[in-house]
Amino acid sequence: MKAKDVMEPITETLSPETTLKEAVNRMKVARRGEGWTGVKGMIVLDDGKLAGIVSIKDILRAIIPSYMRLTELGEFTWDGMLEEMTKKVAGKKVGEVMTRDVITVSEDAPLMECADLMVKHSLQRLPVLDKDKRVVGMVYIRDLYQAIVQALLDKEGE
Amino acid sequence: MTQVTQEAAAASQPFVMDTVFWTATTIFVLAYAVIVSEKVHKTVVALFGAALMLVLKILEQYEAFHVEELGVDWNVIFLLIGMMTIINLMRPTGFFEYIAIKSAKAGKGDPMRIMTIFALVTAVLSALLDNVTTVLLLAPVTLLIADALEVDPVPFLIVEALASNIGGTATLIGDPPNIMIASKAKLDFMDFIYNLTPVVIVLMVVLLVVVKIVFGKKLKTREELKERIMQMNEKEAIKDPLMLKKSLFVLGLVLVGFVFHGTLHLQPATVALFGAGLLLLLSGTHDPHHYLAEVEWPTIFFFIGLFILVGGVVKVGLIKLMSMKMLDLTQGNLFATSMIVMWFSAIASAIVDNIPYVATMNPLIIDMAKQMWPQEAGLALLRHPDLMPVWWSLALGACLGGNGSPIGASANVIVVGMAERAGKKISFMRFVAYGFPIMLLTVFISMIYVWLRYYVLKF
Repeated sequence: MKAKDVMEPITETLSPETTLKEAVNRMKVARRGEGWTGVKGMIVLDDGKLAGIVSIKDILRAIIPSYMRLTELGEFTWDGMLEEMTKKVAGKKVGEVMTRDVITVSEDAPLMECADLMVKHSLQRLPVLDKDKRVVGMVYIRDLYQAIVQALLDKEGE
Repeated sequence: MTQVTQEAAAASQPFVMDTVFWTATTIFVLAYAVIVSEKVHKTVVALFGAALMLVLKILEQYEAFHVEELGVDWNVIFLLIGMMTIINLMRPTGFFEYIAIKSAKAGKGDPMRIMTIFALVTAVLSALLDNVTTVLLLAPVTLLIADALEVDPVPFLIVEALASNIGGTATLIGDPPNIMIASKAKLDFMDFIYNLTPVVIVLMVVLLVVVKIVFGKKLKTREELKERIMQMNEKEAIKDPLMLKKSLFVLGLVLVGFVFHGTLHLQPATVALFGAGLLLLLSGTHDPHHYLAEVEWPTIFFFIGLFILVGGVVKVGLIKLMSMKMLDLTQGNLFATSMIVMWFSAIASAIVDNIPYVATMNPLIIDMAKQMWPQEAGLALLRHPDLMPVWWSLALGACLGGNGSPIGASANVIVVGMAERAGKKISFMRFVAYGFPIMLLTVFISMIYVWLRYYVLKF
């Protein structure tokens, strides 16, 4: 199987100009397939072209103050700090916090390539691009898991 | 020709302004211009310039590597590598975070008190370790504390940078200019303690008084926010108590080593390397790569490149020419020389990196001394009683000048960079507004100190 056989369609996207507050709201209400509400990541399009991807991790990264990354200060935070810092960055633009170097696959990428990329780069999702570099879908880590489940069940069936 | 006679010939050679002279001068001036412009990384410029000096045979490789007067000052290089390695091994123990949180609690969560204590801690750590490491470790905690107290971190960060440059002036190991001057002039750790530490203590008191006057009324926080600081448990910062004990033992040993290195006839680099070797051994690490890789190699290679660049222009006589011009200017009046060196160094170090500046001034002062006391040589020349105040003036000017602008010292660059990443941009002029007056004030006080101590009271 290839990426295009397991990928899911993209229903919603963000723009680099969207604020974080709005982005979080959009991710919260986004529908993904039947009965699913809420996504943990969304691609960012600028003029129809893939500009980046925003995941919950990117948002957390924007919220955690830069100085926390420089030293081991985790123990010296206080109750309410996360909420406080979240309010501080609510007005930031998606363009400032998104991951710019998005790792993508082509429609015809074998599933092994998808699996390899996800493990190497600790990813949850891979945007799928067509020949014109337009995003046509997304392969989620659970889509790969589905493929694994199927492969195992098939074997048992033989 | 043997190496020794070559060396002697190089030293006594009357210089001629030939093609070699102009080539060396051009490489040197161009390299410094590009370093100041910041178009190319300074380490790249210094190394390429040094390579040109060697390839064009302005300086022989032997001279660059093995001749003390012309080449790389390995004492400086290995002192830096040794100290950096010790600090790299010490950092993961959480010692610096512990000190910082403890200081904030000692200030009872009061912003003004915390600023004062942080300034003092920064000054002491900068004197005993180095400025860059000190601010690199204290600035993140400062930002956290400022967030907890909901106060502007910028004044704290600037005061820390200023305190670190003032504190670093106090000792041989505190600031790179001092390391370089000590090595060239054969001064030991205690020389710096006797001659610079007293004035640095005065300067720190002055800094704290100024800080109190400027910020005393403005820095306020709410009682419930102070609680956030008071409930922090600094002990949680210690990640590796055993390694911390080993580190403090070795650091103590190294400091004792510095105090006695003159008496024991051990070079400072020997003391630092011994400390690094011992702590690596005690740490029981099987992966020294990590600790050694964390040494700031770009800085180390910047020094190496600069020494060779300067060696080139020393050899062709440019530095001698400059020292003759300086003697013309001062008419051999050493008090005037001290004052000019101090103020010129301060202004120059505020505008450009003080490391290349001091690398150039060291041989210039030695050349000047050779012309003033042609009958003297060796230690008698380098440590001529009348020359000592000039060395101290160079150290005071070059170190304190760093406070004049955000690019004057590495500590400033780090503080400005960290503030910017935390979303608190410190504009060039905002830093200058604090730093330049402090620089003028501290250099002015140093000027009075040098005048009083060496020219009036003469002790």
